[in-house]
Amino acid sequence: MQIKKILNEKEIRDIEKLIEKNYGCKINLGKYKVFKTGEEKIWIVEKGVDMELCKKLRCYAMGMYFGKLKRNNKIKLSMEGAMMIGKIAKKNVAVIDEGEGMKFIEGENVIASKLIGCEQNNFVIIKMNEDILGVGILRENFIENLVPKARRINF
Amino acid sequence: MIPDAEKLFSASTEWKSIRVNTLKIGRDELLERLSEKFEVREMPWYENGFFIKGDITKSLEYYLGYYHVQEAGSMLPPLVMLPDKNDCIIDICAAPGSKTTQMAMMMENEGIIFANDVNSKRLRALAHNIQKCGVVNCIILNHDGRFLWKKGIRGDKILLDAPCTASGKIIKNKNMTWSYGRVIRMSKLQKRLIESASKCLIDGGTLVYSTCSLEPEENEEVIDYAIKNLNMEAEKIELVGIKTRRGIKRWGDKEYEGAEKAIRIWPQDNLTEGFFICKLRKY
Repeated sequence: MQIKKILNEKEIRDIEKLIEKNYGCKINLGKYKVFKTGEEKIWIVEKGVDMELCKKLRCYAMGMYFGKLKRNNKIKLSMEGAMMIGKIAKKNVAVIDEGEGMKFIEGENVIASKLIGCEQNNFVIIKMNEDILGVGILRENFIENLVPKARRINF
Repeated sequence: MIPDAEKLFSASTEWKSIRVNTLKIGRDELLERLSEKFEVREMPWYENGFFIKGDITKSLEYYLGYYHVQEAGSMLPPLVMLPDKNDCIIDICAAPGSKTTQMAMMMENEGIIFANDVNSKRLRALAHNIQKCGVVNCIILNHDGRFLWKKGIRGDKILLDAPCTASGKIIKNKNMTWSYGRVIRMSKLQKRLIESASKCLIDGGTLVYSTCSLEPEENEEVIDYAIKNLNMEAEKIELVGIKTRRGIKRWGDKEYEGAEKAIRIWPQDNLTEGFFICKLRKY
């Protein structure tokens, strides 16, 4: 793993603001060490980790992949990133029913039953009942599926 | 060598075991959800373990990472170690990460776990499982465990779930092949690994050694080596709700130190995979 940058407090706050702007909720990333790898990927790791020691080791990965910064102040959350935010998100949340939920898990595009503060062509958190299933992109008539292939299940 | 062997060969394998991922969901909530879909039995020796009948890798809860499919016996080494939130733990042969993610869960995602594996192909599975379980306190390393001590990391606790001939998996794979030459090769590797592990461990720290193999050469003999050469002493293990047997004290013309404090989980006793576990303290 090639760490591009360990984010300072201000840079972490900028990401928190980005999340607030996109999902209408406040989260505290300051309790983690936050760093960037290639392609603007954001990772979070336990605060006690000695990053200098880790640089000397052959490190394959560190902590949890949180999401990827995209153009126009958008962020594509990982499934786990979406789960961290999804329960408190007030914007860009697409609610789907169980039938669509099963299709979503299989990797198909789906249709939302309710859109909460969603912006066209932005990343939306997919919610089914109380579960956060991941993220997609809201297109004109459907939600584009962004579940990684390794996570999909064929029922 | 195998007591009650006939039970072993007639054992049913239709029940699979899972572990609740309490980093994502509460134990009781998951139990309630799974009970609506599957036949579920609670695991007598671990509150977060369940036995389930059915296709457990095809459920919404599995997709969400609410549980991890993990062999029942493999949940025991972390229970013996008892990781704490403040610990720095080194898991020397971590892939595919069942025990690593269990320890992270027991630490409530605090402290630090260095999850190492020499096999770069298996690291992908390890990273996948760590991500899926929502673990943030893990650093995945790719070093040869035999030389890990040279890298300057030191742990309060170490898990050495050593590579082995896996003869304890006979309950699931009754057609497995076996060779004594392989047992001896593994035994040599295991001694090198436990030596490296002891050097990575702080004084007074705990090392849990485990294998899913039944051969004394891979188990009691390795513990005997550690006690005689590496300033380590065996500690008593207490597990509740599971039938365990003591380690083998004598094997052929050899007599092993520390065997009386080690435990063996025989597959036929609890219908799990076979496991050997020993807890050592460095002095």
